[in-house]
Amino acid sequence: MRNKLHVLRAERGWSQAELADHLGVSRQTINALETGKYDPSLPLAFRISRLFQQPIEAIFQDDESGR
Amino acid sequence: MTSSHNQAGRTYAIEFGGAMVAYAVVLIIAITVLNANPHGAWRPFVAVAPVIPAIFGVLAFVRFLRRMDELQRRIQLEALGLSFAATAILTFAYGFLEFVGFPAVNFVWVFPVMIMIWGLGLAVAARRYA
Repeated sequence: MRNKLHVLRAERGWSQAELADHLGVSRQTINALETGKYDPSLPLAFRISRLFQQPIEAIFQDDESGR
Repeated sequence: MTSSHNQAGRTYAIEFGGAMVAYAVVLIIAITVLNANPHGAWRPFVAVAPVIPAIFGVLAFVRFLRRMDELQRRIQLEALGLSFAATAILTFAYGFLEFVGFPAVNFVWVFPVMIMIWGLGLAVAARRYA
């Protein structure tokens, strides 16, 4: 699933490790999310949404969104 | 900043490492006692004594699995699934070979095979998400 996680992270000047700490996951997970190789669970998606104060749909775009 | 993830890994290393040290100690003692006492109805209990610290090692892994983040838990699941299937097939196939004269292999070798394939599976599964 496409996402703009790396953009949001860069805007705050965070490393992947720092973002991982904020979300309570491993750096490996952040990397897999940003490269689109792993889609977050719903609880993790909500934590990401709360952290960046944007709705989930503004951060993640699935292939069926058509936008 | 110590993440919960790093803390979980450290706790696992301590708990599992401790269990493995205890396993080695109990194993050495058990072998020594059994060699020095070739008879006795209590011998089977001493022979399986190393399994007790091994159980603590397994429990440490289960606790670690529960503390892992979701991707790492998925990677573990894929690796354990691979290990389960491959070990089943290998031991099954070798069982047939024993029927045609291949040397009998003790059950204790099944677990190390399982662990090796699990390790291989972890490397393969982790690469999929890297």
